[in-house]
Amino acid sequence: MDQLPRNFREFWQETLAGLARYPACPELEAIPLRSTAFATLYGLRLTSIGPYRLFGYLSIPTGTGPFPAIYYSPKYQSVHEIIPQGTANLQRSRYITFSLAGRGQRNADTPYAAMFPGLLTEGIDDPTAYIFRGIIADSVRGLEFLLTRRELDPTRVVVVGNDVALITAALTGGATHVVATPALFYKTAELAVRTQTYPLEEINDYLRMFPARAEAVRRTLAYYDLCAFAPRIAAPTLLMTGAPGTVLDGQALKPLIDALPGRVTVHESEQSLYRDGLYAEQWMAAQCGIGDSQSILPEHWRD
Amino acid sequence: MPKAVSTDYQSRVRKPDDFDAFWQDVLRQAAAIPLEAEVVPDPLRTSNDVEVFEVFYTSLDHVRIASWYCRPARRADRSPAIMLLPGYQMDPPIPKEWARKGYNALSVAPRGKLRSNRQFNPGYPNLLTHNIVDRHTYAYRGFYVDAWRGIDFLLSRPEVDGTRIGVAGSSQGGGLAITTAAMRPEVRAAAAGVPYLCGIMDAIELTHTYPYEEINDYLRLHPERRTEVETTLAYFDGINFAERITCPIVVNIGLQDNVCPPETGYALFNRIGARDKQLDPYDGHGHDGGRSRHGAIVDRFFAQHLLNER
Repeated sequence: MDQLPRNFREFWQETLAGLARYPACPELEAIPLRSTAFATLYGLRLTSIGPYRLFGYLSIPTGTGPFPAIYYSPKYQSVHEIIPQGTANLQRSRYITFSLAGRGQRNADTPYAAMFPGLLTEGIDDPTAYIFRGIIADSVRGLEFLLTRRELDPTRVVVVGNDVALITAALTGGATHVVATPALFYKTAELAVRTQTYPLEEINDYLRMFPARAEAVRRTLAYYDLCAFAPRIAAPTLLMTGAPGTVLDGQALKPLIDALPGRVTVHESEQSLYRDGLYAEQWMAAQCGIGDSQSILPEHWRD
Repeated sequence: MPKAVSTDYQSRVRKPDDFDAFWQDVLRQAAAIPLEAEVVPDPLRTSNDVEVFEVFYTSLDHVRIASWYCRPARRADRSPAIMLLPGYQMDPPIPKEWARKGYNALSVAPRGKLRSNRQFNPGYPNLLTHNIVDRHTYAYRGFYVDAWRGIDFLLSRPEVDGTRIGVAGSSQGGGLAITTAAMRPEVRAAAAGVPYLCGIMDAIELTHTYPYEEINDYLRLHPERRTEVETTLAYFDGINFAERITCPIVVNIGLQDNVCPPETGYALFNRIGARDKQLDPYDGHGHDGGRSRHGAIVDRFFAQHLLNER
């Protein structure tokens, strides 16, 4: 990681203060088409920094609760899902699930529609104008909203996602557990030159086109590097790393793992969405005290 | 351990009597629409070894379709081409790695995808059930044609050897590879991974995950429309296209696939008409379909059939 910017703390305090200036003004509307006997789905609109109006899918289990929650933070993709593709719909019977579209994703793409690739370098010359400053604020706003729900058990709140999940857990309270797959903000400039795969290839494209901006890009990325946030993440964390030998494998991520003060479980990808996915589902269920996790697994993963 | 999967699973889908006539009519409508291809260099994504272009062409209903097109910076006058087809929720990637292997590579964004959604945008979830009671306006009618028209674009390019065109994709891309290989005889080799849109009405009972779950959502709210839904989907089910495939084809499935049930992969494979066909099932794998191991098989397959390597 490049040296921690001297005003790192102030930069993020100002961002959160900017977010706080706008009330969330949530609007919830039930979506009968996606509601079942075991869960009701709502579409949610709420305001983030900018101001910018966001959208999320909130699913509440049938019953009295309180329920554990899974917060799916904004992703690097245009499509905004209710729950991730391949997740058993029955997950919604046991957890509150809340999936937020960050600015630029579908359902939150007015006025800004992100391009993929393109998002990772949008405004990257300037840490304040960088699109991810807004997206991280969006994610914080989403978690803040989730914590207001009376159905929620605040001792069991899992934040799931990429780097944005880790940064969210660092910047605001409320995440009791984190499941994160770093892909964007770990030694970004350093690792990008070792791959030709998107999203990091965006950095290579950008610096090939604008070589004079390399220093500005490095300066911006220093405000977003996971190692700078790691000391503030106390929640037990499941870190999903790349398979051995890949750019973001367990060995490459060791400095990040060592910097996390809480309990860290590392799962190196077995290059199987079944094995990796099953591990994460069972980890979350164990952390949240869900005993019969078999019943909420996809049919083809059950014993 | 998860249960074993039956390799002789029988799909319930039946081919409508007018299946061929329906698609001939769609193709006739599409053929009347000029392609109007536009090829725009993308200097930001271009590097020393790969030239990158944004491509736009017109498809059924005059919907404008976006694609990424990559070609090797150093290439023969006429070289082979691969068309890459996207998954349901993925953003179509820039296929630089295929260009680095020596192919002209087109990565299509069918209607509703990012960059192809100005005129048609049912959203996700919703695409799978958009107008699902009417085969003449169902979302995938145009979506399929958008992929097939990509072959017309490749055939229009002077640097493409029209006798060496392949198609590849996984999940929805696998399903589109099936329908494209079936409907475009110019396709000389196809690789379909964990194919979606095959055995659709079987899949909604075998699994309860999105995107197939969209149909269960729809039928829960509108149970009286089940017959119309089944009728429409029979025209779009990859299993009903499979017997038309004659080119060499390789299919891979994951035996713990939680998105596209492996049973439907077997049912599809058994119906593929090509004599030169290969199925690779991967135990211990889900919707990745064993990609980490299978990737090399696909590379060799296309090299043999399109690069003429032994």
